[in-house]
Amino acid sequence: MDINKKNFNLFQLNTELVPKLDEMSDSDFEPASKDEKKSMVEMRRSVSYWADAHRRFRANKVSMVALYVFIFMLLFTFVGPSLIPYNYSDQYRDELKLGPFQYSEQEQRVRSLLKDNDAVYATTLIPGSLTSISAGDYYITYKRVTYAFHIDSTLADSVIILNTAAQDPLTVVTDKALKAGKSDAKALASTSAPAEGAVKLKAITYVFPHVFGTDSVGRDLMARCMYGGRVSLIVGIIAALIVLIIGATYGAVAGLAGGVTDFIMMRIVDIIYSVPDVLIVLLLQVILKDPLQKWFDTFSSTNAFVRTLSDLGVGIVSIFITFALLYWVGMSRIIRGQVLQLKQQEYVTAANALGVPNRRIIKRHLLPNCVGQLVITTCLQIPSAIFLESFLSFLGLGVSAPMASLGSLCSDALDTITIYPYRLLFPAVILTILVLSLNLIGDGLRDALDPRLKK
Amino acid sequence: MLGYTLKRVVIAILTMLLVAVITFFLMNAVPGSPFLNEKSTPQQIANANAKYGLDKPKIVQLKNYLFGYFKGDMGVSLKMQKDTAVSKIIFGQGKFTLSIRVGVWSLILAVVVGIPLGCLAAYNRGKWVDSFLRVFTTFGVAVPGFVVAALLLIIFGVQLKWLPVLSQSLSTPSAYVMPVIALAFYPSCYIAKLTRASMLDAINQDYIRTAREKGLKTGKIIFKHALRNSLIPVVTYLGPLTAGTITGGFVVETTFGIPGLGKYFISSILARDYPIIMGTTIVLAALIIIMNLVVDVVYKVIDPRISLMKAED
Repeated sequence: MDINKKNFNLFQLNTELVPKLDEMSDSDFEPASKDEKKSMVEMRRSVSYWADAHRRFRANKVSMVALYVFIFMLLFTFVGPSLIPYNYSDQYRDELKLGPFQYSEQEQRVRSLLKDNDAVYATTLIPGSLTSISAGDYYITYKRVTYAFHIDSTLADSVIILNTAAQDPLTVVTDKALKAGKSDAKALASTSAPAEGAVKLKAITYVFPHVFGTDSVGRDLMARCMYGGRVSLIVGIIAALIVLIIGATYGAVAGLAGGVTDFIMMRIVDIIYSVPDVLIVLLLQVILKDPLQKWFDTFSSTNAFVRTLSDLGVGIVSIFITFALLYWVGMSRIIRGQVLQLKQQEYVTAANALGVPNRRIIKRHLLPNCVGQLVITTCLQIPSAIFLESFLSFLGLGVSAPMASLGSLCSDALDTITIYPYRLLFPAVILTILVLSLNLIGDGLRDALDPRLKK
Repeated sequence: MLGYTLKRVVIAILTMLLVAVITFFLMNAVPGSPFLNEKSTPQQIANANAKYGLDKPKIVQLKNYLFGYFKGDMGVSLKMQKDTAVSKIIFGQGKFTLSIRVGVWSLILAVVVGIPLGCLAAYNRGKWVDSFLRVFTTFGVAVPGFVVAALLLIIFGVQLKWLPVLSQSLSTPSAYVMPVIALAFYPSCYIAKLTRASMLDAINQDYIRTAREKGLKTGKIIFKHALRNSLIPVVTYLGPLTAGTITGGFVVETTFGIPGLGKYFISSILARDYPIIMGTTIVLAALIIIMNLVVDVVYKVIDPRISLMKAED
């Protein structure tokens, strides 16, 4: 704004700068030098569309907060699972029905052991577990030293191998001995080379809590929420991309073609638009289950693409199919409207006159100029797809066990809602945050990218 | 006007036919006969196919099926209630009325709550009421329906014990409260957002300024001048709202254990009782399509600007 004002001032005569008539000399009538000319011409630095949109988006505080929250959710769902020692499908039999941050009895024992010792060792990765060790060769790497040892007979009771600063090398302590208060720890023979086929024991130095608790079969709820959120996000993004590709192409073709083609194409859109989508989704979920499963079974061994799809499960793939069949119509209407305006522009006429094929006009001229609408509509499509997926999973039609999605987690929690309300709360809050942040980012993008709202 | 209505009716009928044909072919695309199980012999399957007319060519089947629906014959249930007519299951056992009752109440609640809230926010623009309502409705449209239902269940059913947890057949009025609120929550937030936006649009129009200059009372300005014009987007939302209420009904009925059509539909999907799935889909689709048709025609009646714009094209 203020730059414009400056430009405007240039055209007004600045009376102070103009010398009085009697004070003028010959030098005042010499042509202006290059520098003088330069100082008179003040150009506004051109701001590209994206830079402008970026600036406006940055200025929108709500959308920026939503963006940061969304980035956090991305990290939570995509990086999170590799940071915690639990898996979405592993069932920890000793850790059923734990509340948030609650430790099972065994974990508490390990924690109390850890208080006095540097580390506890067990055969599995599960933190806080005490394992009974069968006969065989074992080795431990601790502080860059490898200790190998042999156990003759099965130690039927729970065995903890622990290491303290004072007792070096390592010591085997049976759980029974510990509980009896005996300190008859057996010293281990230590060598640096492990025997062939020896089992490596894992060190536990910290018992990772079940932050969200565990479910009725002992699965860590936070890990399941992370995977569930990931599934929801993947579904949302892929569905939005499907809508983007089909809708944009269809709309652009209809808009550019015009006439009878446009009329017929848009009547098809009208009809699809009024087909009750969720009913058809439900129907497709039922119908596609068997054929898709069969298709997966025959091709997943040979085709990598099919294998990826079959990992996602039948329910989710049929959501994609539904989006490809029904949900692109909104996008195609918007893009058609834009194209109808854009095709009147001179550059389209010019491209036409030069004999550019229609395909290329759509690709190079029409769609790039609709990019604002494309981005906004795609972004707002993601939360609606997430909603749909969670709705289906809640009804038991989306993802299949042991895979989790936020909707199926909520539905699982419903059975025990009176006793463990937090099991519903965590996935529900995550789902709400995801949808909310995406909605707000979409609103911010609309304000930033839509030139009609320019102030 | 008449031309427009006719055009919309034709599109509605075409859509209905499309839905019927889609459902028919989807059902027929399922491999294997619906009568196939471990015990059945080929002879039994052939007999069953002949009994239900499944041995005829597909096109004849489609014809029979479409004519059947015209006459109100939707076939019989294969599993859930074996050999009971689907039309009787849907309409005759109180399921349909139960669902419709919950749906209509929540539609009314959504409109009755949403519009005043939107007006309130628009009228107090920039004040704390507006900010509060904006945050609330923004959250409201991001919370899935089943979460609202479950939260109501925890708070009022389990913790405070004010309302019955299992609504069952909705015998008492208090049993309606939670399902209706859960179903109306999202649409009332959405309607409030819509009303606020269009009210703000209307308030900035010249005719409102004129009304103000004339010295009209605020209440009169809002209700007589601003609201009437800003209700048009709300009317257009009523079509999708009906569809949303029907699908939301599936969730609410499942959550509260109401033996309505929605819950039955979901269990018939899980049990794969095809005639019931098909019949319910078509009945519900007809409901949505008719509602869309009504909304489109009403919209046209109440907003003369639209016909003007069309005439200019």
